[in-house]
Order: sequence, then structure tokens, then C-alpha cells
Amino acid sequence: MSASLTLPWMEIAPSAVHHETRQHAKEDALAALVEQYASTLYRVAFSVLRNAADAEDAVQEAFLRVLRHRDSLAEVRDQRVWLVRIVWNIVLDRKRRAKTRPETDDVSELARVLPATGLTAEDRAAAAQHHTQVLVMIDKLPAKEREVLVLSAFEELTSVEIASILGITESSVRSRLFRARNLMADLLERPRSTK
Amino acid sequence: MTSIRQNDTPDRVRNAEETLRLLATRPAPEGLIDRVQARLAATPPPSFLSNWSLFGRNGRMFSPIFSQGLRGCAAAAIVLLVAGGGFAIYSRVQPSPSAQIIVMPARVGNSGGFSNAGAMRTPDTLNGPVLANPALALPANPAQQNVIAPPQSAHPTPKPAVHPRKAPATQAK
Repeated sequence: MSASLTLPWMEIAPSAVHHETRQHAKEDALAALVEQYASTLYRVAFSVLRNAADAEDAVQEAFLRVLRHRDSLAEVRDQRVWLVRIVWNIVLDRKRRAKTRPETDDVSELARVLPATGLTAEDRAAAAQHHTQVLVMIDKLPAKEREVLVLSAFEELTSVEIASILGITESSVRSRLFRARNLMADLLERPRSTK
Repeated sequence: MTSIRQNDTPDRVRNAEETLRLLATRPAPEGLIDRVQARLAATPPPSFLSNWSLFGRNGRMFSPIFSQGLRGCAAAAIVLLVAGGGFAIYSRVQPSPSAQIIVMPARVGNSGGFSNAGAMRTPDTLNGPVLANPALALPANPAQQNVIAPPQSAHPTPKPAVHPRKAPATQAK
């Protein structure tokens, strides 16, 4: 009886149902991406920007870009590398724009925030001083070498993935990392001459 | 995979990389995921064109496939318009033919001789005599050169000398 009362114009078109379902699926996929990778992206952003608020902004911007391309999410082969690459480009762009800002204050503040292994206050102060020195040295490295060194600190990223993020070959990653380590060794040996 | 993090680096550099590692493992602030989700939810749909389906989303009159076709047609029409406009402008604005004529500057007295000073007609004297090439001045009919002259007698008869006084008398006889 109730079936006879259903008129054709009252029916919901199957394509409309599919469309809504697809929209929900895309939103769910995006939410899952946020859940899974927001922390990783934040850490990548923070390692470059060294500022919590800027890093969070960068993560949000990265996911807004993903939202624009959510129709093609299924075509992305390695979503983690893809997302890291997006946030990497964002933070490099922000860093370039904010280049005029003095970084020494941020570095010393950051060094205090980093965990120190020492028990006494003196040990912790020494560790903070060491971190400050290292971060200042890293800022003195050439951009290409510095980028590889920063990304190599992420245990979850392989050299192939770093190469994919930077858009270079794996052998280039290795050679740049080798150069970066040599430069760091030189800088740490004679830190005063480089100031 | 982890070969780029091997232990063939000096201790100082390894300590420096430890600092970077501390940075890389710094935990994300609490509530980051919720804030990102909230921002994404508050963001309007990506763009107008990507969701464009003419008469709503019921899909009955204009299904997404049809609207995609329409979008393609509109894009093709725009491309045609732009290309046609460009060609119309190109076909109307042609480069003037005079622009291809290269005007050479007149050389005045460069060779040291006279010039016609731009006159319409100049006398032949100005151009000087034309010397004929002797090699080109040969007779026109080379067959006549081979004609053998008739043999002449050993004593050629002298022409009778005509006395100037007798001449009128002989003429009278």
C-alpha cells in the first residue's frame, strides 16, 4: 500500500545518494589523514620554523591544500610523503618570507625547551648551551645541506622518502648529507672563526 | 634504509644530530588534531567551479557526468573565443609593405667623380665616353675573313695619271 503511494518525483535519485555517500567518504578520508599525520606534519614544520604557533599554522594550511585536492586523494600513492612534501614547501616558503626576523632569540628559547639529560641545573644549562650552539651552526649551513640534515633526523623517513620530498635523487640525498656532516664537523671544531 | 644514519660520523656531529632528533621528536601540542578538524569543517567548499552542477545536486536533470561535459564544452568555447579573437586581430593588423623596403643612403662623391645630383635627365657627357672592348669589336660575319683575294699581276697596271689640264678635253671626247 505504501509502495503505491510513492510517486516518481518523490523518489531520491540514486545518483544523489551516491554523491552524498562519496562526499561523506571524502570527508572521512580527510579526517583520517588529519588523525594519522597531523602530528608528523607538526614535527616537520616545527623542526624548520622552531615556533609552535607557526608550525600549527603550517599544518592547518597543509590540510587546507589537501582539502582543495580531496577529489584526487585516492590517486596519491604515498600519502605520508605527499603530505610531508606539502608541509615542507609551506614551511620553506614561510621561512623565506620571515628571513629578516632575528633567529638567535628563538634558538636560545628553544634550547631551553628541549629536554636535557642532566640531573643538576648546571648540566641542564650546559645542555641548553650545546643545543643553542648546534642550532646556530645548523643555520649557517647551506640550504641544500641543511634541509637534508633536518629531514634525516626524522627516524620514520627513509632516504628514498627524503629524496621524494625534496625532489632529488637518493644519491643526491646521500652526498648532501655527507657534505652537511663534514661542514658541521668543521663548524663545531672552530666555532669562533665562523662567527 | 637507515644507512644514511650510520655511525661513521664524528661524535660532535652525532651530538649535533641528536639535537635535531630531539627537535624532530618533540610532541605535537594537545588538541592539534581537533583544531585542524574544526578549521577544515569551517572552511567552505573548495571552489565554485569544481562543484558546479547547474541545477543543484539532485542529479536528475543534470548528472555530474553531464555537467562535466558541459564544463568541457564551456572551456572549449572559451578557448575558441580567445583563439578566434587573436586570429582576427592578427589577420587585420598586417605589417605594411613599405616597412620591408630598405632605403639606402645616397652616396655623394664617394668615387671622386661627378654625380647627377638627383637630376631627372643628365647629358651623356656626364657619364663619360664608353670604351668599346676590342675583343667584342670583331666583324659580325666571320665567313668573310676566309675569302681569298684574286691574284694580282706582277706589274700592276698603274692608274693613268690624269693631267689636270687634259682632263677636261678627254672628258669632252
